[in-house]
Amino acid sequence: MSKDPNAEIPKWKQDFPIEQKEATHVSRREFAKFLTLLSGALAVGSTAIVVKSIAFPEKPLVGEHPICMESDVPEGESFMFEIEGSKTIPYLLINLGAGEWRAFEQKCTHLSCAVKYRHDLGQIECPCHKGYFNPRTGDVIQGPPPRPLPQLEVVIRDGQVFVKAQQA
Amino acid sequence: MSDFRQSQNEAHPNKRSTLMTGIIVLQILFVTIQIWFLFGALNNALQDNLNFAITTAVGSLTFAFASFWLLRYLPGSIKHKTK
Repeated sequence: MSKDPNAEIPKWKQDFPIEQKEATHVSRREFAKFLTLLSGALAVGSTAIVVKSIAFPEKPLVGEHPICMESDVPEGESFMFEIEGSKTIPYLLINLGAGEWRAFEQKCTHLSCAVKYRHDLGQIECPCHKGYFNPRTGDVIQGPPPRPLPQLEVVIRDGQVFVKAQQA
Repeated sequence: MSDFRQSQNEAHPNKRSTLMTGIIVLQILFVTIQIWFLFGALNNALQDNLNFAITTAVGSLTFAFASFWLLRYLPGSIKHKTK
């Protein structure tokens, strides 16, 4: 005796007769369309970079900013400070000794980890992936960072340390 | 008068399959190059290298248009043909 095939199927299934196999199947046509959409999205991303660079350029640092007293940072030590601008950027002030002072952005140019000055090595170290920078120029010595650290000019006046944008 | 679409629909399934594979391979190639461009532009934009960003954006847009244009040659689905 044959049963009615619809008898055991719940009503909601009869109303939506879509099999799971059919619903999850991705045909080659659909895959090609997905690739096209992905291609469009990547083009939009590349265009957005240009638009952002032209419409919202990063504002250069204006004027001199007082940081600390010269006596606050002993020779071979570093001092962390932040400057509020279009965005807050952390910097590292380094006393190299013999009146040599440097200020660099503290974000590693690889993946933005905080870098620190190692006086025992005489280098700036990024502890995340062992990137090393020259503490005088900010140039990459070793490791994955693709660019030198952005630098500020340090001015010492009346025992006080100021920083300003580097002259091009 | 027969046109491209008609002759494509009447072509042997093997031919349609090859065409489909060719289109997908081309699109994967385009997307790969676009990812490469985007990665390069992101890195270079940080160094104020605007010319590089503009060049890659134009290239990426060209590839995107090529991808959309390729859809024109996508063979029709077999389901629709049998109906």
